[in-house]
Amino acid sequence: MKNRLKDLRAERNWSQAALALKLDVSRQTINAIEAGRYDPSLPLAFRIARLFEQSIEEIFDDDAQPAAEA
Amino acid sequence: MTPEQATGRYFKIFVPSMIGYLVGSVGTTWAADNMNLPPAALYGLALVPIVAILSAFWAHWRFINEVDEFLRSIQIKAIIFGIACVMVIASGWGTLELLADAPKLKVFWLLPIFWVSYSAAAIVVTKREGGMF
Repeated sequence: MKNRLKDLRAERNWSQAALALKLDVSRQTINAIEAGRYDPSLPLAFRIARLFEQSIEEIFDDDAQPAAEA
Repeated sequence: MTPEQATGRYFKIFVPSMIGYLVGSVGTTWAADNMNLPPAALYGLALVPIVAILSAFWAHWRFINEVDEFLRSIQIKAIIFGIACVMVIASGWGTLELLADAPKLKVFWLLPIFWVSYSAAAIVVTKREGGMF
């Protein structure tokens, strides 16, 4: 899943280790999410969204097309 | 708890357990070969490596519960690969023993096969999925 985590982190001059500490996860987890190799669980996605004060959809993009309105 | 703390707690139990396993296994084998012990005593000695193995797996269980979700997913994948290797070898070789009189594979080797295959899988999965050592 594509995401803006790396950009959001860079805007705040946080290292991967610093962000990992704030989210109570490992640096490896941040690296894997940023690389798009791991999709976080819903609870972790919410923690990320709250930390950056954005919605989950603003941070993560699952490439899904919105359903057409009937 | 940080992953480093969880890893430290894991190795504090795992390393002594593996030493106990090796010493227990070698000691039991040596005692069986060199001492005229009754079978009950040998069964008793064999409990040493068994307890050590249980201890090592308990440490691994705790480690998996203490690390975060990404590291946990790597551990689970590696463990499943290790179990698959053990099952395939045990079942495959067992069939050969039954049907083709293949040489007996001692079940003692299943645990080392598990740890080697699990470790290899943990390294490969970690590198492939973006984790770093």
